[in-house]
Amino acid sequence: MGASILGLSHELPPRKDVGGVSRPVVASPSGPSELAYSACAVAFSEAGWSPESVEMIVFATMTPDVTFPGAGCFLQDSLGCATVGALDVRGQCSGFLMGLAVANDLIEAGKYERILLAAAEVHSSAMDESEAGQWVSSLYGDGGAVLALGREPGFGAIRKIVCGSEGRHHQRFWVEFPACGRYPTRVTVDDLKRGGHYLQIDRDHVSEFGREKLPQVVGEVLELDGSAADEVDVFIVSHIFPEVAADAAAALSIPAERLIVASEENGHLTAASLPVAFDQARRDGRIGTGARVCLATCGAGYTWGAALLECE
Amino acid sequence: MGLTRIRSVGRCLADKIVTNDDLAGLMETDDEWIQQRSGIQQRHHISENTGPADLGAVAARQALDRAGLEPGDIDCILFGTLSPDYDMPASACVLQDRLGIPDVPAMDVRNQCTGFLYGLTVADAFIQAGRYERVLLVGGEVHSTGLDFTTRGRQVAVLFGDGAGAAVIERGDDDERGILSTHLHSDGKFADKLWLEAVSARAPHRLTEEMITSDDPPIFPKMQGRYVFKHAVTRSAEAIREAVAAGGYSVSDIDLLVPHQANLRINQAVAMALEFPEEKVVNNIQKLGNTTAATIPIALYDALEDGRLNEGDLVCLVAFGAGFTWASVLLRW
Repeated sequence: MGASILGLSHELPPRKDVGGVSRPVVASPSGPSELAYSACAVAFSEAGWSPESVEMIVFATMTPDVTFPGAGCFLQDSLGCATVGALDVRGQCSGFLMGLAVANDLIEAGKYERILLAAAEVHSSAMDESEAGQWVSSLYGDGGAVLALGREPGFGAIRKIVCGSEGRHHQRFWVEFPACGRYPTRVTVDDLKRGGHYLQIDRDHVSEFGREKLPQVVGEVLELDGSAADEVDVFIVSHIFPEVAADAAAALSIPAERLIVASEENGHLTAASLPVAFDQARRDGRIGTGARVCLATCGAGYTWGAALLECE
Repeated sequence: MGLTRIRSVGRCLADKIVTNDDLAGLMETDDEWIQQRSGIQQRHHISENTGPADLGAVAARQALDRAGLEPGDIDCILFGTLSPDYDMPASACVLQDRLGIPDVPAMDVRNQCTGFLYGLTVADAFIQAGRYERVLLVGGEVHSTGLDFTTRGRQVAVLFGDGAGAAVIERGDDDERGILSTHLHSDGKFADKLWLEAVSARAPHRLTEEMITSDDPPIFPKMQGRYVFKHAVTRSAEAIREAVAAGGYSVSDIDLLVPHQANLRINQAVAMALEFPEEKVVNNIQKLGNTTAATIPIALYDALEDGRLNEGDLVCLVAFGAGFTWASVLLRW
């Protein structure tokens, strides 16, 4: 038996103008663990949990509070949980689905009954604020989501998850520095002067790969589940470029009323994109009881993934 | 159905041996001071551009060879590191590139000294849940490019070495042999007792020139040694007791204790606290320093080479480190 979603909530900071578009951006310096913490109260109340209910924390982020320890440790401390495990997963845009697979299987394998899965990013502090960097910084937002996962039935059942990667393209969408393997020093002032600590995105390659991979991975998860595309009520598709998500949906002949492009409104939230969009949609009624929902993403690494959920 | 087992292991050490005397040429320290506090005599550092994924690829190929497998036989890659090849994406993706195995999922486990045991727990869950059949778990670190080799940084810089260890993990056909139980813990209250603050999402700017050039640069790891030492001994002993109790064993049933290699004095104190014979404890920190996520797979490799790890042994793996996080795994080899 796979895991169920017992509680879900999200946190988006106040919106701000970023290069001419409105994005959620943290008002004062804060780490992703703080966004995740803010989301916990609602998710816990929905699940009937207190911090003591948590047996394990899985945290997906590519912008941790500090280099180490992981954001999960900071969340464990702010919640005041027992000394439970706190795992940090780095899977970039697929971090949430990878974390979901980890949490699901930890429960399915009988290791834990109740796992807190967090996915949160603070991108704004990592952005190149110069004019040249604006096309990238305007793509991103800050935000986080948390899921209370358990064995007993909840409002959402996890039916299937698939994940994949193709590391050959890791330099098409990356942040090079610090580069721990660069001898003799992993980061220098010169690296910063050249902007090597900012996101570098090969727009054409990343777009082309996403257009090809997103329909493929959706097909894969549907096939694994034995479901047909028209049995899915809502598709939530995440990609750094919203138009790529829309193109992928068109390739799958998904009608507009059944499609949510995760990055459209909030900007790209990387690991948090899918769960934030999912929570927003169920709170505003776009996802109702009994809905079957397909989540899909493709991004840096490259990594990709898809999940099929059923709301009960 | 069969328990999850470590089918084979491999290791790769960075190419340059750095002795305590070598370090004494860079900072105020000496061989006696280092050995007395940590037991370390030497460590390996890289001497040209070499990332943890490069070291990891060599270790992984060795582990695969020993199992008679090809990279293509792997269906999931997990990489434990706190010193990734690049800020983003994960080193697991870089390793995937090095090994040339397209399409399989690749993710990093960022749990510092306990990274290998957190990763082993995830691998066990993936396999027992039937998601993947054969997981490649690598712990790899290149610390030497991010340490302060002046007298200011000596407390930390002398401890760490560069290296990687790899394990091929799959389901065995035996219900008695393999991973018996896994135990993960954390206490984030102590996050700043052993940490690397920058790069930091919670700074106004994640990485600045000031962070590199200041008098107390946050791009170097900081450690409050006595705090870490005390907690490491208590929590490691606790985690070992937890693991044996879960299997209905007692500490004296353990045939081989394979602890994380942070400090020889910690491992000696743990053995003493448990009244466990030191000759059943694997220690190789003397020659390698602390290779963080790589220590346990390298120690397993060394124990196999030395004939100290044998089929049927009850083995306890234990680690403690930054977070704080700590973990133990009990397995029948």
